[in-house]
Amino acid sequence: MQRSQKATSTSEKDFFLNFIQKYASIGTWECDIVNDTLIWSDETKNIHEEPLSYKPVFETAINYYKEGYSRSTIETLFNNCVEKHESFDVELEIITAKGNNKWIRSIGRPIIENNQCVKVIGLFQDIDEKTKITLELGRREQLLTKTFDLSAVGMVTLNLKGKFLDANKSFCNTFGYTKKELLELTFLDITHPDDKNKGRQAIMDMIDGKINYFQAEKRYFAKNGKTVWAYISSTVIRDNNGTPLHFITQINDISQIKTSTKKIVNLLDTTENQNKRLLNFAHIVSHNLRSHFSNLNMLLDLAKIEIPESTDNEIYPLIKQAVDHLGETVDNLNEVASINTKKDIQLEPISLTNTFNNITNSIAAQIIASKAELSINLNDNLKVMAIPAYLDSIILNFLTNAIKYKKPNEVPKIDINAEITDHLVILKIRDYGMGIDLKKHGEKLFGMYKTFHKHEDSRGIGLFITKNQIEAIGGKVDVESEVNIGTTFTIELKKYEEN
Amino acid sequence: MKKIDIACIIDDDPIFVYGLKKLMKIANFCESFMIFNNGEEAINNLTPILESGKNMPSVILLDLNMPIMDGWQFLDEFIKIESHKKITIYIVSSSIDPKDKNRLKNYQSVSKFIIKPVTIDLLGKISKELIK
Repeated sequence: MQRSQKATSTSEKDFFLNFIQKYASIGTWECDIVNDTLIWSDETKNIHEEPLSYKPVFETAINYYKEGYSRSTIETLFNNCVEKHESFDVELEIITAKGNNKWIRSIGRPIIENNQCVKVIGLFQDIDEKTKITLELGRREQLLTKTFDLSAVGMVTLNLKGKFLDANKSFCNTFGYTKKELLELTFLDITHPDDKNKGRQAIMDMIDGKINYFQAEKRYFAKNGKTVWAYISSTVIRDNNGTPLHFITQINDISQIKTSTKKIVNLLDTTENQNKRLLNFAHIVSHNLRSHFSNLNMLLDLAKIEIPESTDNEIYPLIKQAVDHLGETVDNLNEVASINTKKDIQLEPISLTNTFNNITNSIAAQIIASKAELSINLNDNLKVMAIPAYLDSIILNFLTNAIKYKKPNEVPKIDINAEITDHLVILKIRDYGMGIDLKKHGEKLFGMYKTFHKHEDSRGIGLFITKNQIEAIGGKVDVESEVNIGTTFTIELKKYEEN
Repeated sequence: MKKIDIACIIDDDPIFVYGLKKLMKIANFCESFMIFNNGEEAINNLTPILESGKNMPSVILLDLNMPIMDGWQFLDEFIKIESHKKITIYIVSSSIDPKDKNRLKNYQSVSKFIIKPVTIDLLGKISKELIK
């Protein structure tokens, strides 16, 4: 009766033990030194991924330990346990029967009889998951620490009152403080007085959890007193209960960008001012010149009426001519000034064919007199975006130039063609006239008051104004020319696109 | 043809004034002149004349760029005088700046913008317009 009760209690104990072993992932083992036998509990076999029927062998059991550090460590520890009666508790790696790598904890204790170690009994625990997580955490921690320390961006952690808890190298470099010095300071201590209130509300909101982060441009002082412009990005770190612990703030030093921006803005200001002054100057000059011209003109008219005899000589007509030229020059100056000052230019679609027809009609006399041969090859539907007056003036100037600068003793021949690209109309006006030596004159061709031919009508203002007008309506002009072969002007204009 | 009685010239340029007077005489434009060298002089003298209604000029030829008080400032003062509408004003300027022309739209009592130089033909046209 008693025996059977005891037997029951033993099996209950075994059951309980197995239960614990299974759920705690802890197995037991027993190594009999005297008989060289080894016993594993079921859970120990599980951890090794061996079947429950498996019988461990004392001599080879050690081979489950991963070769290298793990195996040599267990060897040493086990030997010390047997010989020096030292217990051990170690975390090592094994390779299971299925070839899996596992972290285990092995605990061994010697059983001493007559001062001799007869047995080593121990525990065997599967700590794989735990260890792997710990290792991973360690790796991440290291990664974060390295990121924090070596980041090119300044990074600090601050307590909720703004006191520095940590600062990385970049931050220290930017501000010229050592980490030790910083830990004695608060964020406000190095903030520019004008920016101290900046973001105060955002910080409150961040602590209250209304916002997750805060970004701003703020000014700070470096240790040497220099202002540091920074773009900061701040976020709050909370514990598991959501209680705010501290801030992490990143600081980008944008002082250089700020300085460059300031320089650029200043330069722009200066340029704009200079432009305004130049324009003003152009207006004054043209206005004043114009009043003198009109006075001269009026006086010459008066002289002709009042003192007719004073005009009956060689000089009077020359003076009259000079005054007329002065008037033209002033008008040209004015025109150029007005092209360059027009803002918000409104372009409208204009038919190229119509424009050419109008111009050729208006210079019909010139065309007939010169017997000019015009070959206009344009699609009737072709429309460009332009200001009508400008387009007229542009075409007129190119056509009259082509007629004017014909080869002596030849009738002028002019070809007009257009190429169409996605957004542009490329108009080509080709003449077979005298041509221009572009090597000599190329750079000055579209300059003001440049003439290249000794022609009675050469005034040298036409191309300059034409180029200005083309550019004012968003176009471009280019020229190819060879002396005695002819000239081709290529004019890029914006194409009218129907939606 | 009926002739303009008094023409008023407000201009600081003596050559222009000289020339214009001559041209007006040749064109038989008016009986007599009233000349002022700048806006201030003109407004100081014209105010009592307009108020009394005697010896009023029928036309003012006004320059824009003048020292002390320019043509625009003159206009601003002039339209404050009650009977100013009886007088026709022509702006006579060397300015061909479209900005000046646009600015003129703010002044109803100004008839026209004339760009110098003034010619006899032009005076004839003005004369016709005024007598109508």
